[in-house]
Amino acid sequence: MSTNLLRLILLFITLSITSSLSTPSPADSPPYLWPLPAEFSFGNETLSVDPTVTLIVAGNGGGSLIIRAAFDRYMGIIFKHASGRGSLLSRIRFLKMVEYDITSLKIVVHSDSEELQLGVDESYTLMVSKKNEQSIVGAATIEANTVYGALRGLETFSQLCAFDYITKSVQIYKAPWYIQDKPRFGYRGLLIDTSRHYLPIDVIKQIIESMSFAKLNVLHWHIVDEQSFPLETPTYPNLWKGAYSRWERYTVEDASEIVRFAKMRGINVMAEVDVPGHAESWGTGYPDLWPSLSCREPLDVTKNFTFDVISGILADMRKIFPFELFHLGGDEVNTDCWKNTTHVKEWLQGRNFTTKDAYKYFVLRAQQIAISKNWTPVNWEETFSSFGKDLDPRTVIQNWLVSDICQKAVAKGFRCIFSNQGYWYLDHLDVPWEEVYNTEPLNGIEDPSLQKLVIGGEVCMWGETADTSVVLQTIWPRAAAAAERMWSTREAVSKGNITLTALPRLHYFRCLLNNRGVPAAPVDNFYARRPPLGPGSCYAQ
Amino acid sequence: MRGRGAKIAGVLPLFMLFIAGTISAFEDIERLRIWPLPAQVSHGGRRMYLSGDFKLVTEGTKYGDTSGILKEGFDRMLSIVRLSHVISGDWNSSGSGGSALLQGLHVIISSSTDELEYGADESYKLVVPSPEKPSYAQLEAKSVYGALHGLQTFSQLCHFNLKKKVIEILMTPWNITDQPRFSYRGLLIDTSRHYLPLPVIKNVIDSMTYAKLNVLHWHIVDTQSFPLEIPSYPKLWNGAYSSSQRYTFEDAAEIVNYAQRRGIHVLAEIDVPGHALSWGKGYPALWPSKNCQEPLDVSNDFTFKVIDGILSDFSKIFKFKFVHLGGDEVNTTCWSATPRIAQWLKKHRMSEGEAYQYFVLRAQKIALSHGYEIINWEETFINFGSKLNSKTVVHNWLNTGLVENVTASGLRCIVSNQENWYLDHIDAPWQGFYANEPLKNITDKKQQSLVLGGEVCMWGEHIDASDIEQTIWPRAAAAAERLWTPYAKLAKNPNKVTTRLAHFRCLLNRRGVAAAPLVGGGRVVPLEPGSCLAQ
Repeated sequence: MSTNLLRLILLFITLSITSSLSTPSPADSPPYLWPLPAEFSFGNETLSVDPTVTLIVAGNGGGSLIIRAAFDRYMGIIFKHASGRGSLLSRIRFLKMVEYDITSLKIVVHSDSEELQLGVDESYTLMVSKKNEQSIVGAATIEANTVYGALRGLETFSQLCAFDYITKSVQIYKAPWYIQDKPRFGYRGLLIDTSRHYLPIDVIKQIIESMSFAKLNVLHWHIVDEQSFPLETPTYPNLWKGAYSRWERYTVEDASEIVRFAKMRGINVMAEVDVPGHAESWGTGYPDLWPSLSCREPLDVTKNFTFDVISGILADMRKIFPFELFHLGGDEVNTDCWKNTTHVKEWLQGRNFTTKDAYKYFVLRAQQIAISKNWTPVNWEETFSSFGKDLDPRTVIQNWLVSDICQKAVAKGFRCIFSNQGYWYLDHLDVPWEEVYNTEPLNGIEDPSLQKLVIGGEVCMWGETADTSVVLQTIWPRAAAAAERMWSTREAVSKGNITLTALPRLHYFRCLLNNRGVPAAPVDNFYARRPPLGPGSCYAQ
Repeated sequence: MRGRGAKIAGVLPLFMLFIAGTISAFEDIERLRIWPLPAQVSHGGRRMYLSGDFKLVTEGTKYGDTSGILKEGFDRMLSIVRLSHVISGDWNSSGSGGSALLQGLHVIISSSTDELEYGADESYKLVVPSPEKPSYAQLEAKSVYGALHGLQTFSQLCHFNLKKKVIEILMTPWNITDQPRFSYRGLLIDTSRHYLPLPVIKNVIDSMTYAKLNVLHWHIVDTQSFPLEIPSYPKLWNGAYSSSQRYTFEDAAEIVNYAQRRGIHVLAEIDVPGHALSWGKGYPALWPSKNCQEPLDVSNDFTFKVIDGILSDFSKIFKFKFVHLGGDEVNTTCWSATPRIAQWLKKHRMSEGEAYQYFVLRAQKIALSHGYEIINWEETFINFGSKLNSKTVVHNWLNTGLVENVTASGLRCIVSNQENWYLDHIDAPWQGFYANEPLKNITDKKQQSLVLGGEVCMWGEHIDASDIEQTIWPRAAAAAERLWTPYAKLAKNPNKVTTRLAHFRCLLNRRGVAAAPLVGGGRVVPLEPGSCLAQ
């Protein structure tokens, strides 16, 4: 493996020397894969791909609709040029007037389970070779244990395919390819925030689709916050009165559709209700949830009604979100309202609680509700810093604030998700891609058994200044930098000069996103989501 | 804007009586949330629901729809109406269902052709019944392209009912009679400064239909890159930024076809002789010299052969009656500075300016020989307007008084004055786009009829696939209403339409178009959390 990698790195070095003179030409360079597979080797042949390439499935899971739908999606992506699949030219070719090297794509899936949970096997092997002694038809073969591994293999296959403008056909360069791949972390997340700005369903779907291109696998849906409550909760139907407007809402069916759409792409949806601090909008429908009309946050800790509502929300959400993780927030709790509201103050005194005790009481009680619904709670790191020893041992701690919190959390036996705001908060526009890329979730954690407790990381697209008009270009291409960090081997992403080993591929991946209709911003700008500084090639900006 | 506002305040008293008389009607119109505003609208106060299998019915139509343009347009309309929420309502059990259920849309088109002809009738008449006379809404149009506009209007009447979880239409019955004020309602895109991938161009075309724009002005080539395949001169696209930032000839045909099926013309432009440096990457003989590469060599017959080859190839795929030949910003110093060309000028007793005229007129003749009428940027008119072919349309961008002069001379004109309608001016607010009147100071009816319309220009120096949508929208929509809606119905003060435009911007967002906020002036990002409708 390391020899392959070394070869590739050497190749990139050579390439970047030559590419300073000319823009990359797929014909004389290997296809730029992103994120880099764990192990791969390639040759020197160019193979043509039949626009009417057929899907052959095998194994217990081969017949899955998820595979069929993904194949159709990727055919649309690979053959998007006018002379592609379905065109007159391709039909003439189908009548065997032109011979292609790759005429079928074989997908072997061993397991028939479509259960998508944390740690699901996403490994795959991909082989692309010409017809030879071993195989009578030229084929590409993807083999995976699960349908989700096969999806990752299809994405890689699509990145090997390039439209050649001279022959007007799709080619795979540097064949034969042999790729054996699996992710480094099981949790590779992206947070979206539909409370600060509502994101229409179609936009969320665009985000999910784009995540699959970078092999991210968890959409962390920060649904509700103090600004708005957009989701329907049948048990407490007034809650979505906290939406910005009647237009800016999700029905239960909408949320289910998002979960279904994500699952088809191998992506889990982790829902969050952020209690007790970020919940002011709940009270628009149920003012009793506020400590008082003039002091509205955090949620009223004294009332059973508060926990009834949480329980109702979670019961409703359990029907929508099958993922085993559920996020309960717990960050930035300013307890002044509790101190300043007479009935809350009396309640605290009655129980001999400090406000911090009440905060702990709230979080732990909410955790028990989540656990009773068969969910594993995730909480922001303040819960760990404030009363870590009292948290349910199943809790997953999500880092954001303090850089070594995952070190501390795993040392206490908790699992952890890395989201350091200095690097992985996408709303921080002044963090260029290199800093995102060079941030290592396992920093300072040497013991392999503790390393295992870091289940992965997440880039966070907080929504204060990101609405439909700018959300995708704020996410991309920087989320891709984190995606490679989380998918590829630590060795591959940590060695060498990333200007040579990663930047040309990231340029290429950004243009690939653009070609697929994703408005990824230029890579080279210091500030994120800024327009290009002047005319130029996508591959050089 | 403040300064301009003060000026308006001075004349305000003159309008007061008029405004006072119509204010209630005006506010009612603003509540309709239709963009651009139709020519005539009336409505009631009842509610109807769309059936779960809402159908297209075409009995009595003269249009056969063999190409499927209507059927596809209908299916697109339904899918965008259903895009923002899952439709899960139960039709049979809904109490008010029955009589208030719309079964489908009956479309009657009186012309059998689906040729997309410039200036053809784009009118339509849309009737949505009230619950007393249920079953079908009715859409009548002369041409299928008028019907497509009607489908767009229909889609804007449809809303999601959050309780019943079905699509509803409020305020029925509706009677809408509509047609555009101008026949040319354009948007320019620039694929030379930055390459725009096919899906991005298709998204732009789709979004244009929502605002009833009908011309995509494709500024294909410029100094920086030559992305399009030209079969007659296959090395021209060597001038592309890279081997993959290109459009095949089939890609271009596909774009034209995609646009045509949505009622949108594609106006192809080659901008000669000034903006053409990239041509020489494949054919260096087109440059005056290796170190002086623009404008195209006026002295070389090969230059005109290449133009002829390009326009000959164009005529096979770009079926719009016009082709744009550019002609702006021609800096002729390279001609005098190159000895070979300087000699040629001397021999033909031409000044640099005369050579510029010679070039443009010769290019015009080539275009005419391929059956095109010509559009040129305004410099050609300013420099030698009387020599331009009478089939020339002059495209304004620079001077405010130009439209008056062009139309006075009997030539046709398209308005794109840069201070109001250049989208790359990112600090230009939407109000300026809305208020820009193409017929300003033109009172003569004949002259007015020579103004074909207008165009907003999305120049690409700082625009690529990542920021094109939010730079175009919602400001292009403000211009689109100016170009579509009857003058008398347009708001004198753009701020009166803010709420309705905000609704249209949110509608674009729901349809997946990254339209930017209105608040803040120009192309902006949201400054803080808030509702789409309030930003």
